[in-house]
Amino acid sequence: MSSTDWPQAAVASLKAAGLNYDFLLAASERAAFLHGLVVTLELAVAAIVCSLVAGLLLAAMLVSRHGWLALPARAFVEVTRNTPTLVQLYCAFLVLNMLITEALKLSGGNPLTPFLWVVVVISLHKAAFHAEALRAGLLAVPPVMLEAAASLGFTTTRRLWLVQFPLALRFALPSLVNNLVDLVKMTTVASAIAVGDVTYQAIMIWSQRDNVLELMLLLLIFFGLLTWLVNRGGRALEHYWRMPGYGR
Amino acid sequence: MADNTELTARLPAWRSARSITLPAAAALGIALLLALAVLWVIPVWTASPLLGHILRWLPALLWGMLANIQISVLAIALGTAAGLVIGALQLSPVLPVATVARWYVQIFRNAPMLILIYFSTYVFPFEIRLGSTYLAFPDWIKVTLGLALPASANVAEIFRGAIGGIPSAQWEAAAQLGLRRSQAYRWVILPQCLRRMLPPWMNLYATITMGTALASLVGVKDLLDTAQIASSTVNRVDFTVAVYFLTLLLFFLYCYPISRLTQYLEKKHAFH
Repeated sequence: MSSTDWPQAAVASLKAAGLNYDFLLAASERAAFLHGLVVTLELAVAAIVCSLVAGLLLAAMLVSRHGWLALPARAFVEVTRNTPTLVQLYCAFLVLNMLITEALKLSGGNPLTPFLWVVVVISLHKAAFHAEALRAGLLAVPPVMLEAAASLGFTTTRRLWLVQFPLALRFALPSLVNNLVDLVKMTTVASAIAVGDVTYQAIMIWSQRDNVLELMLLLLIFFGLLTWLVNRGGRALEHYWRMPGYGR
Repeated sequence: MADNTELTARLPAWRSARSITLPAAAALGIALLLALAVLWVIPVWTASPLLGHILRWLPALLWGMLANIQISVLAIALGTAAGLVIGALQLSPVLPVATVARWYVQIFRNAPMLILIYFSTYVFPFEIRLGSTYLAFPDWIKVTLGLALPASANVAEIFRGAIGGIPSAQWEAAAQLGLRRSQAYRWVILPQCLRRMLPPWMNLYATITMGTALASLVGVKDLLDTAQIASSTVNRVDFTVAVYFLTLLLFFLYCYPISRLTQYLEKKHAFH
């Protein structure tokens, strides 16, 4: 067997097993599917970074002593946690995006893409969960530690950044990793507004070829792999940041 | 030491900031904000037919919401029944059984809900043959099954966590009292598990309820689908804004009380 026809052989043997992966041999469909994988990866990475930054800001607002900061943050967190992501995505993409398009009709059109809206919605959605985890982490820091830091002459700001925050981050890390696993799975909603992620491409292919089960298996393997990677990354970070005297 | 007095003064304030008043005030604020978003054009109403459109579509939207609730209740019921069995199998002393159960839990906990919904929608037949009669297998039941899969895997995990959280001394004490393993399980362990399982189970229910919004993507006539139809039928900018935020508000009104109750139960049982 030459090196060029092993894909044909692989697809043929899968077909013998009852699985129709013919689309992998059609250049355009294969390219679309691979591009979908890349788009999902880009979505996940962009949303992970943005959600962590936004979560940190939200957490800072949540624990603020100023009501005008804490109250809107609390309201945002509660609304976000208690409404479906898909409805939020529609409110953003079908409503806000439409209003922006209307407003910018005369000045050259709307520069915001569906991809950007998905990143914004998923990031803000998960930021609410991150913020709750970080807030719980901040409250879990034993007061004695803060008193000890104060008695060593740390100023309030230095105590926050050098003592309280690093400890809070370690307490919150398992929840944060859990949230990120959820975030990766959540990127599938992008298909609802035709972003061209892997789920969307899979739907396009199976509506042509009627091979739902085959694509479903690929998607499950792909998302299984992604969530596993995020989990492993989290574990490694937990190990790297482990504190003497806590955990196993 | 100015720093020290500041510290002692601040700590209680940090803690009291999250007492019951803030969430309650926040909830009120949110409800008001959402209501404002829905009613954002009160002055315009008198001149425009927006209110009329909303009132005309409200029954259909609420009817759609009922479909969401129906799917969520059925999915959590099926998921709980299956999940308790799978959770017990996970702890089975027969190794192959436990391994298969763990794999089931791993796969369905890590699979995106949307993919499972597509899976159940396209893979199950649209009718089932029972003898000579054909039973219709409507889309909403398929979505229910698609949501019951992750629900069962999560219930199994919640169950396993609850059993693992019972001190082993409880088993030993039950054995000392002369209870058989099955009796200890039924009369000592399980009652304590149920109490521990309730808050995460309610969280799961809220998650499943929010997952039902995905049903609109496979053509089930739920709240979100009705909202989309309403928006394109009426075809007015102000109505589109109102109907989507109304959808958000309706989901919030259903899920927020569940989340508050969960937090209350968590706090109540925190030290048991």
